Amino acid sequence: MTEPAPLNPYTLPTDDNVNPYAFCVDLSQQWFMRKGAMIAYYGQAKFEALAATSMAGFVATRFSSPLYAMDWVVAQGQGKVVIGDRGHDINSFDLEAGNLTIRANNLLSFATSLELKQSIVPGFLTLYGTGKFIASSNGPVIFAEPPMRVDPEALVGWADTPAPCHHFDAGWMQSFLGMAANSMLGINSGEERQMDFVGEGTILMQSSEIMSEDPAVVRMIESQLGGLGTGGLQRINHVTAQRLAASQQ
Amino acid sequence: MPGFEMVNSKVVKVRLGSPVIARRGAMLGYTGDVRFVPHGVPGGAGAGGLGGLAGGLARRMAGEHEATMEATGQGEVWYGFRGSHVTIVDIAPGQVMLVEADRLLCHDVTLQASTAFIGQGGMRAAVSGMMSGQGLFTTQLSGQGSAVLLSHGETFSLPIDQSRNVAVDPQAYVAALGQVKVEVSAKVGWREAVGKGSGEAIQLRCTGSGTVFVQASEEKL
Repeated sequence: MTEPAPLNPYTLPTDDNVNPYAFCVDLSQQWFMRKGAMIAYYGQAKFEALAATSMAGFVATRFSSPLYAMDWVVAQGQGKVVIGDRGHDINSFDLEAGNLTIRANNLLSFATSLELKQSIVPGFLTLYGTGKFIASSNGPVIFAEPPMRVDPEALVGWADTPAPCHHFDAGWMQSFLGMAANSMLGINSGEERQMDFVGEGTILMQSSEIMSEDPAVVRMIESQLGGLGTGGLQRINHVTAQRLAASQQ
Repeated sequence: MPGFEMVNSKVVKVRLGSPVIARRGAMLGYTGDVRFVPHGVPGGAGAGGLGGLAGGLARRMAGEHEATMEATGQGEVWYGFRGSHVTIVDIAPGQVMLVEADRLLCHDVTLQASTAFIGQGGMRAAVSGMMSGQGLFTTQLSGQGSAVLLSHGETFSLPIDQSRNVAVDPQAYVAALGQVKVEVSAKVGWREAVGKGSGEAIQLRCTGSGTVFVQASEEKL
């Protein structure tokens, strides 16, 4: 077996896959990148936190998500940057005056020609406009068409379809209604909850994975505590203490 | 008879005709009118056969149990589990598949599941079975239909017959199909007892005729 030829700045691909698990972008244009996605680079690359970039005005018009802003950087300069994510499969997608919603944990990088907004669905981000973005998935991405129901852990994203609803299995719903309802909230260990897609468009799926903790979830919960009174806060305190005790056993 | 179909190396798809039994949490998505019912529990639709209450209880006692769901109805269902690789295995009448419960993604309802004892050979083998983390029991599938295995990396198959048997590292072993006897074989001496062994003292010896499925990794699921 011949060894693969070593890659240098001239033989590294331009905005293309190095292999199924690594992708190389050219800094001839600027890229938004998730922190930690970069694994190597050639040239004079600068990675600036969104809060500290010299282009704050430009960034503010493109990156419309305070929840995720601190997890992302702008890459600029000249050279080539290789990105990867835990050995997962990596693919690039081209949007043309379109929109696509993707799980925040799966999005690694996108061209600054695209615009990012927070999806109504927690944990997901929506890209608008024209340009390239790079996403990871556990195994190759599977494309499917609605009408369809997808396990939340297997859902990578969707394009052009209306936003999904939660669907609960009828049998599960029946037993839920028959029990002390509150005690079962937050339990989703099986097949009872799915994301329900209707209409026209494309759904992106992957093999399910153990979800890595999305730091934005904590910030989202924090930001919503402001609307609670003393009773609500006490209730949250109580539930948190219970979950903590359970997880320490 | 539903047929499993590879979507990619980590996902299978099945068009439901007769029901499919799958590990809980393995369903990735579905189209059509499909219902998911816990399998092998009282009140569930699939409490028949050997997978019924008594069988489920026995398997739970043996530590050889994963909660399963039965998919019934009309439509297509996608299955996968945490990015593990999948292997589809067709089981013919007369063949038996031995597989650890946590390595079984899904199978046709036409296959009967029961628990088999592999820790033969007296107390010594019993002790080594525990040391290998393999357990002394394994899930046994028989009948006609297909089953889907989970592995870390792709599996490869080692054919065996009377003239050649094979010994497998317990962590690399995934399943065995045919008329295969799987035994824990160990040369446990004082070195293992004090933790200075070669690390290869405990093996699974597969004899008989059939196929042994092995993964190129020692990672447990």
